[in-house]
Amino acid sequence: MLKLTSLRIAAALALSVLAVPIPAIAQKKPHIIVVTHGQVSDSFWVVVKNGVQLAAKETGANVEYRAPEKFDMVALSQLIDAAVASKPDGLIVSIPDADALGKSIKAAVAAKIPVISINSGSDVSKKLGCLLHIGQEEELAGKKAGERMQAEGVKKAVVINQEVGNVALDLRAKGFSEGLGTPAEVLAVTMDFTQSRDAVSAYLQKNPDVQGILALGPAGAEPALQALQNAGLAGKVKFGTFDLSPTVLQAIAKKEMDFAIDQQQFLQGYLPVIIMDNYIEYGLLPANDTVLTGPGFVTPDNAAQVINLSKKGIR
Amino acid sequence: MNFKKLLTRPEFGAFVAAVGIFVFFAAVAGEGFLSISGTINYLEVAAQVGILAVSVSLLMIAGEFDLSVGSMIGASGMIIALAVTQFDWPLWLAIIVAFLFSLVVGYVNGWLVIKTRLPSFIITLASMFLLRGLTIGFTLLITNVTRASGLGTYTEGDFLAPLFLGRPLGLPISIWWWIGLSLILGWMLFRTPFGNWVFAAGGDALAARNVGVPVARVKISLFMLTAASATLLAIIQVLDTGSADVLRGEQKELEAIASAVIGGCLLSGGYGSVYGAAIGALILGMVQEGIVFTRISTDWFRAVLGGMLLAAVLLNNYLRHRALRSR
Amino acid sequence: MDPIIKLEGISKQFGKVNALEDISFQLFPGEVHCLLGDNGAGKSTLIKILSGVHRPSRGEFLFEGKPVHLDSPRQALDMGIATVFQDLAMLSLMSITRNFFLGREPKKRLGPVQLFDATYAARITEEELRKIGIKIRDADQPVGTLSGGERQAVAIARAVYFGAKVLILDEPTSALGVKEAAVVLKYIVQSKLKGIGVIFITHNVHHAWAVGDTFTVLNRGRSYGTFKREETHRENLLQMMAGGEELDELAVELDLISKRDPGQAGEIEHRMAKELE
Repeated sequence: MLKLTSLRIAAALALSVLAVPIPAIAQKKPHIIVVTHGQVSDSFWVVVKNGVQLAAKETGANVEYRAPEKFDMVALSQLIDAAVASKPDGLIVSIPDADALGKSIKAAVAAKIPVISINSGSDVSKKLGCLLHIGQEEELAGKKAGERMQAEGVKKAVVINQEVGNVALDLRAKGFSEGLGTPAEVLAVTMDFTQSRDAVSAYLQKNPDVQGILALGPAGAEPALQALQNAGLAGKVKFGTFDLSPTVLQAIAKKEMDFAIDQQQFLQGYLPVIIMDNYIEYGLLPANDTVLTGPGFVTPDNAAQVINLSKKGIR
Repeated sequence: MNFKKLLTRPEFGAFVAAVGIFVFFAAVAGEGFLSISGTINYLEVAAQVGILAVSVSLLMIAGEFDLSVGSMIGASGMIIALAVTQFDWPLWLAIIVAFLFSLVVGYVNGWLVIKTRLPSFIITLASMFLLRGLTIGFTLLITNVTRASGLGTYTEGDFLAPLFLGRPLGLPISIWWWIGLSLILGWMLFRTPFGNWVFAAGGDALAARNVGVPVARVKISLFMLTAASATLLAIIQVLDTGSADVLRGEQKELEAIASAVIGGCLLSGGYGSVYGAAIGALILGMVQEGIVFTRISTDWFRAVLGGMLLAAVLLNNYLRHRALRSR
Repeated sequence: MDPIIKLEGISKQFGKVNALEDISFQLFPGEVHCLLGDNGAGKSTLIKILSGVHRPSRGEFLFEGKPVHLDSPRQALDMGIATVFQDLAMLSLMSITRNFFLGREPKKRLGPVQLFDATYAARITEEELRKIGIKIRDADQPVGTLSGGERQAVAIARAVYFGAKVLILDEPTSALGVKEAAVVLKYIVQSKLKGIGVIFITHNVHHAWAVGDTFTVLNRGRSYGTFKREETHRENLLQMMAGGEELDELAVELDLISKRDPGQAGEIEHRMAKELE
């Protein structure tokens, strides 16, 4: 399914390039600023950044990537304000908190800067005035994960949230409970590996009857995996996660995890730069409100291929 | 002769540094940095640190530290957000209660420091953890998530809101509070007997007490002031973002102390300036946002800040020694 | 004339240690009463009692004929007993004016608020310092820019200005060079002439002899007695302070050193040794 989407986009772009004669004028390179909430310690965002950098190289655009040091909405809104004041040709942002960031994004739109949102904020993107959203519809993806677990007979499950306050993650959890049919408890952990692992271990001890675990990211999945291994439960509990990492993929290959939901975050960095560049230079824009980059399920069947790419920071 | 006097003021080093940094960013990143929106951007960042820094600097001059201000931002912000969204309190009541809470915590901090004679560094380090932990614990207990949002609808029309929200004359309200506080507290430090007592309490508390200065009262009221200014900042942030989260304000206490030190305050107390701390906050704001305009990666912000802190301290040290040399 | 301060049978114990035993002491207005004794004699304990830092374990403390029980240094200060401790209670980073008026800042009203009247304070400070012969360029310069002797002078001028009836000086000349010490001794005499009673604590007999009217010698918590100037000699005081025999040994040692060192220093030491013999 994901292959079809990317194929569609590639085809659209290819056709549009052929259809419009490109003027042979030497243009000033477009200046694009990318501002995300991606914490440096989160391996997920390194992949996004790689996508951004590849697209920058391919289009020749002048692209900057900025993020605050930790998950801090106030700092993020200030970074967006600064980006707007630099008067770029295009702005790409993630929207983990529409309340806190809405004002800054609306200011960008009012300043006639085209904005594309990625990764989080699919539900508010259009309302705030963004051109389109590139990412995964979180609630839908969560629902699919929930349905998958329900089909395997899971009734009691726990969701591990490693970045509380991120609305996108909340939506995933919400969708999951919907798809599962029974509400799942949310266990909040932090980016600190040891603390998260201990929190999960404690939970497992107190709830020996839990049948399914869903992590909302590798930062939560990896400590949870260790907690399961320590408790001797790896492979005995249905365990899935959002997003990929080398550790997650190896666990899937070893059948200690059942699935990972790939939102192909590389495309979340790559595509917006390509699209923004084409919009700035030629006024071209795909007609969808949301360009879906997921969910794709990585399972023990296809894990091996993905593992190699994950090591390269592409998946 | 007047110029010589200017040279020996504690703020001089910070002032020179601020001018230098401004010129640097204006030259290297003029387009964004010098624009109106760019200026408002770094002024707003400066104002948020500045509101804390000016109170913290007063306390430092009196010889004490308050490491708990960052946690207080999270705590009072959460109190307001939860009271309004979970318990349907009117905003003005939540604001008043949050201020009262901070005054109580400030009083306890000060009282503990005086009574136990332990370094305030230790006492407020403990309260920093305590406050943060209680904030996280209680918030999860009440709501099962670590942030409260959606305040926008509740706060429309509340009569206290305009004090902490909006852009009078185009400048964000935080900037007005920052400038106002700097002027009032600076004037209080340099022009009132109380200010003299602040210097004395930091220079030699025992000697001051022997001459009749009410050192305990001075210090406790300054602890209450730092806590209240943390709450002020929290209110501004909560109303601006329409939400509060349990980690708000983390590490702000270090930024406030750095601003005060850049502004000429001695860690050992007894010397410094509120105006200097305000300039120190301005420097922090200029650097934090200025880097964005220069297209250097924001990852380097910490390194630049550390380098600047060191340079500012060395400069201030040198200038102060020259001021103290026998004339 | 009645004594302004009278101590009778004052003793002070710290736990098992007897810092002071049965001390009797009188101070008259306009008199310089020197309190002599080697280190550890109990001088600082005695002045701490006089200045309100400690309460005596036993004995009577009379001020202007009435018994007093001092609970704090502030109380002593308010009564008119001004103490200049060795550390001076001068905050070197603060200006001379602010130091001078610390705790007793002159105020002027501005609406509902009380301001520190800085101009008035600076003027008074400059005047008072001029009166004792210190010319400062700027009363707002930090106290740290003054020399040790000048700082002593400011401390004394402060005490006198705020109406001290008794001035207690704790080792004012101990950290000073010869010239500076002479200046401080001059201020002591000036204060005495104003009618203030001065208690001058020192372990330097020469300085004491230069200005003192009365001398009390302490040794290991006890008093050897109080002597008026007419009743004694400097050498006697020295003998009492050091305890006789020890000083003779010292004289012999100095003699030996002076014979080994041909330089100027040796000569002076030799001369001193001769004088002490």
